Parts: sequence; structure tokens; C-alpha cells
Amino acid sequence: MSYIDELVSVLGKEKVLTDPSERFVYGADWSPRTPDEFVPPDVVVLPRTTRDVQRIVKVAYAHEIPVTAGGGLTGMLGGAVPIHGGIYVDTTTMNSVVEVDPKNQTIRVQAGATLQEVNDVVSAYDLWLPHQPESKWVSTVGAAIACDNDSTFGVRYGKILNCLLSAELVTGTGEVVELGHRKAHFTSSGYKLKDLLAGSEGTLGIVTEATLKLEPIPASRRVDMLVFPRMGAAVDYLSRLLKAGLCLEAAHINCRRRLNFYTHSYRLKYGKDPEIPAWAEALLAIAFAGDPQVVDQQREHALRIAKEFEAQLVEQREIVDAWWASKYTLDFEPFRQKWPDSQKQKKFGAADPGVPVGRLEEFYHKFVEVAEKHRLEIIGMNAYLEHPSSIGFSLSCAVFVDYRSPDEVRRFRQFHDELSKLAVAFEGTMSTFMSDTYQKAPYMEVEHGSSLKYMREVKRLFDPKGIMNPGKKFPREVRKE
Amino acid sequence: MSTNLEEFREELEVCFGTSCGLCERGCPVYQTMKIKTLSMKGRNRTMLGVLQGKLDITPALVQATFECTLCGNCDRWCALKNTEHTRSFREYLLKQGVEPMKEHSSLLLSIRNYGNPWFQPRSARTKWTRGLNLPKAAPNQQEVLFFAGCTSAVTKALNRGLVASTRLLQRAGVKFAIMGTDEPCCGSTLLRVGQTEEFEKLAEENVRKFESLGIKKIVTSCPGCYVTLKKSVEMNGSKIEVAHIAQETATLARDGRLRLNRSSEKMTYHDPCHLGRLGGVFEEPREIVKAVAELVEMPNSGYESRCCGAGAGLQSAFPKLSRDLASKRIAEAKATGATTLVTSCPFCETQLRTVPGIKVTDLMELLLDAAEDIEKSASNNRRQPSG
Repeated sequence: MSYIDELVSVLGKEKVLTDPSERFVYGADWSPRTPDEFVPPDVVVLPRTTRDVQRIVKVAYAHEIPVTAGGGLTGMLGGAVPIHGGIYVDTTTMNSVVEVDPKNQTIRVQAGATLQEVNDVVSAYDLWLPHQPESKWVSTVGAAIACDNDSTFGVRYGKILNCLLSAELVTGTGEVVELGHRKAHFTSSGYKLKDLLAGSEGTLGIVTEATLKLEPIPASRRVDMLVFPRMGAAVDYLSRLLKAGLCLEAAHINCRRRLNFYTHSYRLKYGKDPEIPAWAEALLAIAFAGDPQVVDQQREHALRIAKEFEAQLVEQREIVDAWWASKYTLDFEPFRQKWPDSQKQKKFGAADPGVPVGRLEEFYHKFVEVAEKHRLEIIGMNAYLEHPSSIGFSLSCAVFVDYRSPDEVRRFRQFHDELSKLAVAFEGTMSTFMSDTYQKAPYMEVEHGSSLKYMREVKRLFDPKGIMNPGKKFPREVRKE
Repeated sequence: MSTNLEEFREELEVCFGTSCGLCERGCPVYQTMKIKTLSMKGRNRTMLGVLQGKLDITPALVQATFECTLCGNCDRWCALKNTEHTRSFREYLLKQGVEPMKEHSSLLLSIRNYGNPWFQPRSARTKWTRGLNLPKAAPNQQEVLFFAGCTSAVTKALNRGLVASTRLLQRAGVKFAIMGTDEPCCGSTLLRVGQTEEFEKLAEENVRKFESLGIKKIVTSCPGCYVTLKKSVEMNGSKIEVAHIAQETATLARDGRLRLNRSSEKMTYHDPCHLGRLGGVFEEPREIVKAVAELVEMPNSGYESRCCGAGAGLQSAFPKLSRDLASKRIAEAKATGATTLVTSCPFCETQLRTVPGIKVTDLMELLLDAAEDIEKSASNNRRQPSG
């Protein structure tokens, strides 16, 4: 019996898709690739329960078939693209809520629920899941964990790992294990195996359920933008705000070029460029949230301090609203959605390194240099504060990629690799929100050196046959008989 | 009108390049089935694969193409003409020699032979007019035509909506005529299942008929007819105005030509896809509901209204999926606390009635009741001796 026949027999015909047209659409994500680069899996399965996932992995284990799990397929670097074929597990069919515990501020949910689906449910309890990437309508809980993607509200709440209390995992042998500390908000017991899941890309197994910490929905929010003569000045200012004891909810530094991308909807609506002073080289967006009087007080204090940093408040609310809409509310006029409009010819592609705080400007210049060397049109750099009440940031170094040109896609990949390696030379990290995927797999030792062998051992422990999302993080190992 | 799939290649590539998937959240079919092939992003990818010669036309591909109500929700967050891609792809498949879905073939046969998709004799079209004394359109005798539409005319349970529509027009003193047994099918079904050439022929013929009668304005109570007739007159360069009955009666009420009784009953309004998202008529039906009752909105309303599941041949070819969509919509309506779900489309009305749980009413029946109620209470007041 072939493994596909076995899948049909253990899951039922309706949960197994084999027609080429059904498999084809699962062969690409959001990452820059040419329209020819579809890598369809050999079979797509639609599990409903953890038991279904266990059955799938057991069949795969017996036959040594690659298993790639995916959610919204909006990854920016091919993390859930089944590059070695095999079985694609579409987890979005697993989106049930298991339990909401409003008092403990937690939800137990199947991993295929989108982040928005979680918020649709918990908003009735005046709670929300603050891990909010721009792809929240499509990105699933499982994918957020596996990719360790970014969040608009990182400076207050951190990213998904700060919300994750416990997760159920189907390992590469088909065993079901719970990693974490149930509904307790933290623990000092045992090894923190749950933390291994953040950014694991499904290489250790498939997350099937998760217990997530929720936060009360703030009563109000105020978003502002300030311009600075240098990016470094914006960083210093943020540091000062944290020292002052202010509770920032969001903090994003855009270089001047990057704002042009975000104000695309402004230009569409008003037919002109936003009024940003010629001297401004950095634009900082900050948000405060909470009770209105607290928010007002914090905001006023923040704006008062701004004067010490040569900053100027952006008075045109439309610019701020356009940026905020693009980051969070996604509330564009119908037919004015930013992506296709702004990316008709070329699409957004990025490297996602992290560098020491004091070297932001130096790295910015390197980014421009590397992008120009590879003849890529620069979108710009964005530094997002993503660690609770702390100055550390992730970087999005973005360029436009003509995805119809194989040569330009190749040059983009070279640009990505070069910047990733450069970040390590800057005493930083290669990735802060996209993970490694197959892209960084060939040079993982640049960052991880001798610790890489321990990572391989961890991988073997969870996935002895190397069937779980092979080719991601490590090149696929061909087993010797 | 007829489109070649190749025209959309750039858009299909843009969707591939973007791959944001924001279309998934509002898609009633995807949200029920959770299969990416059935999301708009997936459909665009499938079409691209066919254009690239990577995919053969298989039964599964054909089935997926027709598993869509063309409700237009995917266009909400996107600059691309997604709904038109899907409609065009149906046309493309038929041109490639794909047999129409068997359920759709019979609809087409009926339109050809009976002038309606429901195998009813032409005489069935006028049953609803009995006792109403409605004049039949004759050359240059009237400016306004009331267009009943096949579905409401030949379905007994929907006749009341037509009766209410025409009574309201009469009550407000609007001079109009009907075409009776000569009323043609608007061709909406042909268009949506991919029979574009047949539709174009029919549309041209229809507009010629309307012009020869000297019609200046067509008022219809069917949203499918509304958007299709609008398209037909535009395509054929005609200046005939097309209005939905909700627009017409909302104006009459606003102008004081319809007096209405208002109750405190909580009601919710379901936007039919063809009237709302595809026809752009959101406010007038709400104006009517607010004039006669208390309107409570469902979370997905207006532009983001969720399809009832009846459209674009889904009800006939995929009844289970279609019913699942209706159940979801009814659950949303019930959760508002409303006692009545009001809609203004014969398809939505029939479809939503298949799921028990809330009273489903046609907007015009509701309006007529409110108009008659105020008259009754006025005459009761007159009968009562003064104090």
C-alpha cells in the first residue's frame, strides 16, 4: 500500500487532496520567487484533530516521507514551502477554540486558528492576543510560533513566545507531547523546551494546540509620528522614554525611504507626497494605550521630552493614519489595498537581521551599500522595538524585487545572505522575524558555530528520521542505510 | 464583455507576487471548506498554473472553479478584479470544451426553451399579477417598467414580494407597466456560469425590446436582474436607467409619498451580494428598515456582508456547501437578538428560509405592512368616537 493510500485509509478520502490542481496552490508562499517557482507537495492533508496529525506523521515516519505543515502561507522566506515534496499538512482546518479562561487571561486553541480568529473569540471577554503581525488575518497561531514572526505591539507585550504558556506538539515520530507550564504564566521548573518551538519552523514537529496568554483590551490608543534628523537620535529618544518610565505600546523607526512605502495610500488619496521636512532622516511612530487620561499624560510627557532630541511632531494626521492603517487596522478604502497597488511590477523583499542598538546607523549605511551593489531598488529600513519595555529592535531591510526576473530574484537572495552574514559580523543575529528556512540553512554555522551540533542533536531527538520540514535550518540529511 | 483569461495574466502574477491572502477571511466558501484551492488566492494561482501550462483541466479543477458564489467579498481588500477572474475562468473552461456542470446545463436549456431558468411555462410569469390591474407595456405608453424577474415571478412563495413592490408603487402614484408573459430572462445565470456569448446575445435582444417600448427606467425587485440589466444597458450603449425597488421606494418614503407605521421590533438586514457589494446599494434598504423598525446590524454587514450561499449556481450544483453557508449567516443574524431577518433578494430569501431559527421577510413586504398599518390605525382612529 502506498503512503498516500495509507493516508486515505487512516484519514478518509475527504481529508486527502491528490489532484495536481489541488496541490499546486500549496507550492509557494509570500517570499520573492518567480511565478515558475511553485514547489507543490505530493499530497495535501486536512487534519481536524491532533489525532489526525498523529496518524499523518506515523504514516510519514513509516515511509520516511517529508512532512511540511503550514498555515496562511504568508511566510516571507519560504518557511512552509514543501521544497522536498511529500506531505503538506494544511493546519488551517484545525481552528477550534478548546477553552477560554477569562480570569487567568488565557485561551487554549487549535494551532490552525488565525490570530484574528483568536481575537474574534476573546474580544467578547474584553481581552486580546497582542501578538499582531500585519498578516494577522491569515497567519495562524501555529505558524506564528513556528516562524517567530514580528508584532506591531512588541515593545509592550513582546512576540508570540511572550504569550505562549504551553503547546502540544506531534513530534517527528508521531508522539504527542505537551511542552510548557499549562496555565501557569511562568515556571522555574525543568528545561524550557517550549521555548525551542519559537522559530522552529516545524522542524521538530507540528504544533497542534497552544495555550496563549491574553491581555486586557486598552480603552484607548493614541498614535503619533515624530521626525528626527538621524535614526540614532530616534533610538536615543526611545531610550529616554523608557528611562522616564513611560509604557510604550508600539515603537517603530522608519528611515526616510521606508516611509514612502507606508504612505502609499496617502499619496493615492491626496495625490501628493506627505509633508515631511527635508532634513528629516528618521520617522518614529509611537503608540500609547490605556485609560484616556493615562494615555494623554504619557503622550504629553513624551512630546515634551522630544524637544531635547531635535524632534518634530508630524502634524498631518493623514500620514500617521495611513501608516497605522498599513500596520494595524488594515482599513483601506475598498480597492485601495496597498500590496497590489504598490507592488504591481515589483514586490517587497527583505532581510531581517538584528544588530546592537548603538550600531543601527552604521548598519543602515551597509544595507544601502549592499542593496545598491546588487542593483536592487531600496524600499528602506524599519526598526521595530519587539522586546517588552526594552530598546532592542528587529530590522526589516527591504527592497523591491522584480519577481518576474529570475536574475533579480537571484540577486535578492544574494543581498539577503550578505546582510544576514554582515549582521553576525556586527555582533548581531541573522534573523529577527522570518527565521532561517532553506535560505539561511547553508550558512547557519556563521552565526551558531560549534553550538550548531547541539541544535542538530535537538532536531534528531524530536525528529530522528529528519522528515519534519526537511531542508529548513539544516540541509536535508540523506540517511545512509 | 467577453474576456480572455490571458488578459488577466498580469493580475494573476501580481496576486502570486503579493500572496497576502487577505481575501481568505471574508470568503464564505473558503471559511467553510478551508481548502486553499477554494480561496481567491488559490483560484488565482490555479488560473496562473493553467496559463503556464503546468496544470491540466481535471474534474477537481472544474469543480473548484464552480464552487464559488461570485459574491465579491474577495474584492474587498484587494485592487484586483478577483470576481471577474473567476467568472472569466468559467467561460474559459467552457471554451476549452469542458461540459457545463449538469445542474447548470438544465438551467441553460430552460432559459432557451422557456425564457426562465426554472422550467416554467411563460404563462406562469403572470400568475402573481392577478387582481392587481397592472397595465402591460406597449410602445411609448409608459416610461417606467416594473421588471419582475424569473425567480420571483414563477415561485409562488416569492410572489408576495412582487405584489408588495407593485402595490407600493401604485400607492405612491407611480405610473408603470409590466411586460407580463413577454418579460424575458435577464441572463444573470448565463453570465455567472460562464455562458458569456449566450448572455451577450440575450442582453442585446433585451435592450432592443426595452427601447422599442420606449422605456426610460426599469425598476426591479431582484438584485441579480438589477446588476445584470444595468450591465446589459451599459454594454449596448442604452440610456435606460435601472433601479432596484429598494432605491425607488426609499425615495418615495423620503418624499412623503409613502406614510409608514414604525414598530420597536428589532430587525437585522442581510445585504444580498448582487445588491450590496456588486450593485453598490447599501443605504436605501437600511433607510427603509430604520423607518419601520429598529435596525440591528450583524457583525458582517454592508460591504463585508457574508453570502447566503445561493449565488452563481452554487445552490444547484453544491447544495450541501450552499446550505452550510446559509446556516452560518442565520447564526449571525440570530446572535444580534433580532426577531426578523430582512432581505431584498428572492434567492437570499428562499435560501435563508431553509434554515430555521429566525423569521425571514422580504423588504417590500415589510414596507407594505408598515404602510397598510398606518392606514388601518388612521381609519380606526376615525371610527372611534371622539372623547
